[in-house]
Amino acid sequence: MQNNHLRTVKIFRYDPEKGGEGHFQSYSLDIPQPEITTILDVLLRIQKEQDPSIAFRFACRVNMCGSCGMVINGREGLACKTNVAHLPSGQDITLRPLNHFPVIKDLVVDMSPFFAKYEDTLPFFEPIEQRSEPYVIKPDTKERVDIAMDTDCIACGCCVSSCTMVNNHEGYAGPAALTRAFTLLADKRDALFEPRLTRALDSCYNCRTEFNCTEVCPKSISGTRAIKYIQRLAVTHLKDIKPLPPHPAEEKAKNDPKPKAAEPDTPCSCKCHELPDPSRRAFLKSTTGMVGLGVAISLTGILGVSAVVPTLADQPAQWVPVGNAASYPVGSVNTTMITYKRKQAIHTETVNVPILIRRDSEQDFICFNSSCTHLGCAVSWDPTTKRFECACHGGAFDVDGNVIAGPPPRPLDRLPWKLENGIIMVEVV
Amino acid sequence: MMKANMQVDLLILGMGAAAELAAIYAHDARPDLNILIATKALKGKGGCSRMVQGGFNVVLDPGDSHEKHLMDTLKGGQYINNQDLAKALVEEATPTVKELETVSGCFFDRREDGHIHQKAFAGQCFDRTVHKGDLTGIEIISRTTEQIFKRRIPVLEETRAVELLLDSEGKTVTGALLFNMRRGEFLVVEAAATLVATGGGPTQYRFHAPGPEKSADGIAMLYRAGALMRDMEMIQFHPTGLIVPGSVVAGALLEEGLRGAGAHLYNGEGERYMLRYAPDVAERATRDVVSRSAYLEMMAGRACPEGGVRIDAAHLGADFVLKNFPGMAERCAQFKYDLARGMVPVSPSAHFFMGGGVIDTECRASLDKLFVAGEDAGGVHGANRLGGNGICESCVYGRLAGKSIARYLGKAENRSIKKTKPGLAADMVARLSAPLSRATGTNPLHNRTEIQESNWNKVGVVRNKADMESALGDFASLRKDVDAAAVSGGAYNMVFNVHLDTLNMMDVSVMAATSALQRDETRGAHTRSDFPEQRDDYGLFNTFLWRGPDGLPQWEKRAVEFKHKSLEACQKHKK
Repeated sequence: MQNNHLRTVKIFRYDPEKGGEGHFQSYSLDIPQPEITTILDVLLRIQKEQDPSIAFRFACRVNMCGSCGMVINGREGLACKTNVAHLPSGQDITLRPLNHFPVIKDLVVDMSPFFAKYEDTLPFFEPIEQRSEPYVIKPDTKERVDIAMDTDCIACGCCVSSCTMVNNHEGYAGPAALTRAFTLLADKRDALFEPRLTRALDSCYNCRTEFNCTEVCPKSISGTRAIKYIQRLAVTHLKDIKPLPPHPAEEKAKNDPKPKAAEPDTPCSCKCHELPDPSRRAFLKSTTGMVGLGVAISLTGILGVSAVVPTLADQPAQWVPVGNAASYPVGSVNTTMITYKRKQAIHTETVNVPILIRRDSEQDFICFNSSCTHLGCAVSWDPTTKRFECACHGGAFDVDGNVIAGPPPRPLDRLPWKLENGIIMVEVV
Repeated sequence: MMKANMQVDLLILGMGAAAELAAIYAHDARPDLNILIATKALKGKGGCSRMVQGGFNVVLDPGDSHEKHLMDTLKGGQYINNQDLAKALVEEATPTVKELETVSGCFFDRREDGHIHQKAFAGQCFDRTVHKGDLTGIEIISRTTEQIFKRRIPVLEETRAVELLLDSEGKTVTGALLFNMRRGEFLVVEAAATLVATGGGPTQYRFHAPGPEKSADGIAMLYRAGALMRDMEMIQFHPTGLIVPGSVVAGALLEEGLRGAGAHLYNGEGERYMLRYAPDVAERATRDVVSRSAYLEMMAGRACPEGGVRIDAAHLGADFVLKNFPGMAERCAQFKYDLARGMVPVSPSAHFFMGGGVIDTECRASLDKLFVAGEDAGGVHGANRLGGNGICESCVYGRLAGKSIARYLGKAENRSIKKTKPGLAADMVARLSAPLSRATGTNPLHNRTEIQESNWNKVGVVRNKADMESALGDFASLRKDVDAAAVSGGAYNMVFNVHLDTLNMMDVSVMAATSALQRDETRGAHTRSDFPEQRDDYGLFNTFLWRGPDGLPQWEKRAVEFKHKSLEACQKHKK
């Protein structure tokens, strides 16, 4: 008898005593109640039932401490806040450590770089005056409305892991630190406005507004919003931004003869956790490129330059064979990779994309473009829930391609199709 | 496996509210002190202060008074609190909460007029619970952790204390033996003063509210070092732990403010049973009463199909619930329960040690150079803690400890480090690391489950003599199992960490059962089916307990001192 609850869980393994690049190890686990089983439960069960040697980190188990951040099926999240049912049921569960942090063991990363960067923006309250009574501040003041729930950040590091810029710009403090900077800049009780703004602004310009941090935050905080808030402050406070003497806390650190608190934990040198995630990272990079192209196009339009600019709309359409119609049973939904060549401006590239084929009767097919209409990740068909699901941001579409969950703005794109000698063909650009 | 010694002025064990405030206030009083914090988790991420939901009881309103807060605390504790400690708690809470805002930068929820909002909690005659939404701990600990960063106080992360170190006479604490989980290494830190503030967390029960990383480390270390302990039978069960079958989330709490706001509890037959157990206040009775009632309903066969009872907040209105308890609603929704529109199954969940190390209002413990603050200390809450007095205790006593230790270390004669008994640390390391060199033995994960089942079934919400004596027999045999554990592996060894947890769980289990057998009555969190009545002509004592030469607890009962409030005043007080 086949066990329908059996799931494959691939866990990244790295042993600091052995070194190397690390690898994924597969476990098979019976998960009868995926709706109420968290990824943390999955890890604890594997540890107890199959392999006591796996290492992961957790503390509170109720989304309050931010210790169990990891990359779950390509997307950052807290193991305790992600249920198995939140992932497409047809897929393996893949768990790897947060990006950009040194791996200590398996899924456990060294968060020191996070806190080091965090301190770049002076992320601590410094009272503007000594007083014994709390301030009287109405909850509907602009300041408090702006800050909203952003002080609820639990410093889990998911935003930093999801950010494609933070690892490439040494001076970039990243979304968590800038979110804290924002809440303090907006807080009238705080004394470090000018030095904090100077430091934060310096950092903010590295943000490329990709919204990854906003997408993954387990506390629904938008790092992007915080960063843009700080940048807007530059307009109103330009005169305040000037080189300043270091904060006393920094001076103090230099002169402090305090004991070195043990040597820093120097974990692995492995780069495996830095490997780009094939599904999303690669995609995000290409999207960034496309956004840049789009900006360039609109600029040329504005400037009235009449040079011929290659655009995607100019691409000639072409018919590409998908496969033998007989291999698609009536009533089924299948995914097929197609390969074709596409000329883009001065460059010819080979395209490999999955196409989703639904066959309703002998003569009736529907072919969907598998790109999620949100950000273009490949969606997959989940036969259990009968939905197309996107692993990147939780988008879901019904059998007709209509949006039923998540951020996608419109239904899945349908591709023109025809049958030629029993071969199904689709029209693509 | 052992690193060279470090020496500091003040070693702080733990990094919750008590530890952080102690560090901040000790540093601010004497910036020249070398302070070192050692935490089992990442910086500011471990422990229960961060998990505080409801809030912090404090007198701020002119209509309230320290007198009222004290009376609520003594009534809630069923009169056996140390009245000096309870009085300091309520009086110091006021400046402590104000300084959380003015010094550390917390911002608690405001009323429409801009003053700090205070909400209703159970067992109190005034709405005095300060909060930030329904996840207050995040605000407190995030802000105080930042203040530690600002002061550049060094922190050893994922480095747990495993034993306190003593001098040759065994009367002075000289520091602690720590274990760095990441490297799998022990290290010795010697200090002129040591503060134990690891937090408790009665995870020795099947169903528990604190994160599973907690294991009463401080309480067990204090006991093993020979410190005087008290009230160890008093373990609070929170009445509304979420039921999630098969998940580690099971036992996590739905906060008290729900009952404060008027949520109802129903048994499996749909009866609002609290009207039977506490006709005047019903669900707003104190936690001991509500937990006991739920347990008795469950035992009487009136549990809901999920195995507990049900909380109904929906009758307050979905909008109200979602606005005031968004964190709780989200927690329920993750497990397919709709707090705003339906009933949610809950069960009593082991939550808090009222007992712990004996201290005075300066946080001094019974051994020299030893200080204790927060849940590791006993006496503040008596037989039952009020909701909202827990984070209050951690913050108030952390702050008091910081100031007190700074004064202590301000005297030159106290600033020196006493010599640790030669060979003591090496012996400890040899004993503690034995499971790593054993080829075969018991499994710590299994041992932990056995400890939890035995405690839940025999020393749980409702107890009796025969069961507890049987539990002590279980513990003797479980102790052998724990001592025979075998663990393989090196760095970041989670199973070895669980083994260290079980050593502490064993000690607190034995302490709790031994102490519980000395109290032949029902009082506060201690419920006896064989002695179901509270007996004020008998039970006004505290059981003090210490480790005897055979490793087992010895005890002595001492009468409660009604120093500030008489028994009659306490008995007459109505919330």
